[in-house]
Amino acid sequence: MKKIITGWLFDVYPNETNLTVWIIGEDGQRYRLVQDFAASLYAAGSSPRLRELWKWLENQPIPTRLSREERKDVFKGMVTVLAVKVLQPSRLDELFRNMAATFPDLTYYDADISPSLRYAAAFNVFPLARCRVEVWGEKVESITPLDTPWDLEPEPAPLRILSLEPDCDPAHGLPKSVTVAHGRVRYSLLPEERTQLLVCLRAELHRYDPDVILTSWGDTWLMPFLIEACRERGVTSSLNRDESLSVVERKEHTYFSYGQIVYRGRQVQLRGRWHLDRHNAMLWNDYGLDGVLEMARLTRQPVQEAARLSPGTGISSMQFVTALQSGILIPWHKHQAETPKTALDLLRSDMGGMVYQPTIGLHRDVAEIDFVSMYPGIMVRFNISPEVPRAKNDLEPAEGEPGIVPMTLAPLLNKRMALKSALLSLHRWDCRRPAYHARASAEKWLLVTCFGYLGYKNARFGRIEAHEAVTAYGREALLRAKEAAEDLDYEILHMNVDGLWVRKKGCNTPADFEALLADISDRTGLPISLDGVYRWVVFLPSRVNERVPVPNRYFGVFQDGSIKVRGIEARRRDTAPFIAETQMGILNILSKAPDADALKDVLPKAQDFIRKQLALLRAGQVPLEKLLVAQKLSRELGEYSSPSPAARAARQMQAVGKTVSPGQRVRFLFTLGKPGVCAWDVPERPDARRIDVPHYRTLFDRAVQTVLAPIQQSVAGGVDSECLYLFPIKKDNPLLVTNG
Amino acid sequence: MGRTLPSVTQFFQQEEAAFSRFRRALRRSDQLALDDLFTAARQHLAAAQYASHALPFEVFLLSMLLEEHKEVIKLREQVEALASRYR
Repeated sequence: MKKIITGWLFDVYPNETNLTVWIIGEDGQRYRLVQDFAASLYAAGSSPRLRELWKWLENQPIPTRLSREERKDVFKGMVTVLAVKVLQPSRLDELFRNMAATFPDLTYYDADISPSLRYAAAFNVFPLARCRVEVWGEKVESITPLDTPWDLEPEPAPLRILSLEPDCDPAHGLPKSVTVAHGRVRYSLLPEERTQLLVCLRAELHRYDPDVILTSWGDTWLMPFLIEACRERGVTSSLNRDESLSVVERKEHTYFSYGQIVYRGRQVQLRGRWHLDRHNAMLWNDYGLDGVLEMARLTRQPVQEAARLSPGTGISSMQFVTALQSGILIPWHKHQAETPKTALDLLRSDMGGMVYQPTIGLHRDVAEIDFVSMYPGIMVRFNISPEVPRAKNDLEPAEGEPGIVPMTLAPLLNKRMALKSALLSLHRWDCRRPAYHARASAEKWLLVTCFGYLGYKNARFGRIEAHEAVTAYGREALLRAKEAAEDLDYEILHMNVDGLWVRKKGCNTPADFEALLADISDRTGLPISLDGVYRWVVFLPSRVNERVPVPNRYFGVFQDGSIKVRGIEARRRDTAPFIAETQMGILNILSKAPDADALKDVLPKAQDFIRKQLALLRAGQVPLEKLLVAQKLSRELGEYSSPSPAARAARQMQAVGKTVSPGQRVRFLFTLGKPGVCAWDVPERPDARRIDVPHYRTLFDRAVQTVLAPIQQSVAGGVDSECLYLFPIKKDNPLLVTNG
Repeated sequence: MGRTLPSVTQFFQQEEAAFSRFRRALRRSDQLALDDLFTAARQHLAAAQYASHALPFEVFLLSMLLEEHKEVIKLREQVEALASRYR
């Protein structure tokens, strides 16, 4: 019997023979459907070898359909390939592994693309796409998308969300209770009473039948705990809605990326439901559930993957979808080497963005202007893509069809711009604002990483020359912007890759800078916007040498009273919350001054505040949580020759049987006596009297001085931004006036 | 991380370190003056990077000279201002 369902595409994954497709119907029903789907991969090489492969494949137990085709490799042009259509998508991996082991000399394409991504590309759908589905029995006959990932306001799917929240971090010890909540229902279960917990949870899963199970520490503790408890009792967990498959578990791992050690915890994914762990979701704090869903819609990765993937994987999968849809082969391994360059070429091109040294000190009425998504904007406008030959002059758009990178980025960039301008027009209290923000920041992460992936040697569509072309145009645009500003008599205080800080006497409203913006946009061909006009902004010197400016340590207050800080203690993740709060508290008080002249009126209030905070610290009245410092472990514990505080804390954790891997953050307190630290994630709470108050006092003073010293200097001397003599006659440092 | 060439900042630090024996043998007062010169060169690292000169130290020397000349201009203005006050 034929039926038509309209609803949202919930999930797609392979089963034994074909694909399982979940649809949330408009009628509120959850449909579990199946669909036949063949996944193709391609092999290229010499004809005799391809013939051998053909014979080999015919004798394999996995059913395939074979043909000879001409397809496009972006780097080599049209190539003759053997197309292998695998009729059971779940067995493609197995087949390919054997194939690559038997015929290692062939070039393979489209080999390691997940079935969900292939499905998304084939039908132009994406997670939570609104779809019209024709169904025959349980089988999907056709699926048609009714919206696109680029819609600004997609109709929200009616998701049922169940949240499971342990009362404490399981790293400390076994949580005493787990709070179950959905809608207005809210109650607690006790992990110690395992049978009762399982029975209740099972009943809840039946009664409420959630689409999403939202947990804290679900990947690392809760789900493994539940699965283990079920196994002990010999019952099925019913966590999956699809009972024909088991829960998917992935192991933890640590890897090295861009000079940093990164730790990824273990993962537990469900089938027929989503399990999202707030603590294991990449960037959850940045963009929450709305951002995760947006990430899934844009990257077309299944939601549970999208929540845990890095933006780099996200941008790659977007490129894969573009390639699949335009019939371009995706190489399994990349073979493009860097083209030979002369030493001088290398000297000219091996550079990043331009980062200036700011003029140290406090400045009034400063405008911050930024190029909007500069690097992606350059790639789209100048058609920069690994396979597109560069124009002779790097500063002109390359000729020909748009390449794969600009094709992927253009809609993303447009959507972000549309969201940003929509945000500007929304009222401050509009309820759509948080969701818009979340989406815009998900897009920002994708756009930011797409540039890095252009130069990444393992990226399938990456090439260092394309990467260099982008930075070259970036530097050119920034210099043209500088020249535009200086031609109009603005003083340049600072420049940083895609932003400029400028000042001109008498200019202090956004309208005053419009002519400049228009001129820059005219000279560079890139969109530029005014980030805001500061009442005042302070560029800080380096910690080591007070006369050396550093590019990314500044703070200031915009005309609307909002504060912007970069690189100071409050922004750093290894600062104790109490100290960060003190610093932000001071800035909050300073932001109440309507202009720099009024700073002297609010300064006493700030000093009062500091005294009060200091009294709290001295009296031991600061809660221990607020003194926690979280530092990353940079190597294996055995490798430290003189252990850092983090390593010493990690040793304490090891002593109670907790493993800590490089890349994980270790939380600890500074305490008196040896070893000077006390790990937080151990069962035992440290004694509040052992806190190393003098050490915290040092950290406190340093954070206070960072923001207060330049203000005091300005208030006392009046010559705030008047550039200090580079070679001062007196050896005292004008910025570090001690707090009297 | 993964750079073919050292950045100009890295190169600057190498150069500064390379002169440590020279600096050590100077008088304390001269050492401080030398530090001033290196500080002056630091103000223009961004421009030095952009110049992508094959011999960056020449650019550093020019940066020192530049700051030195800015100082001269500033002092000359002050002298003239003072002189006009007492004329």
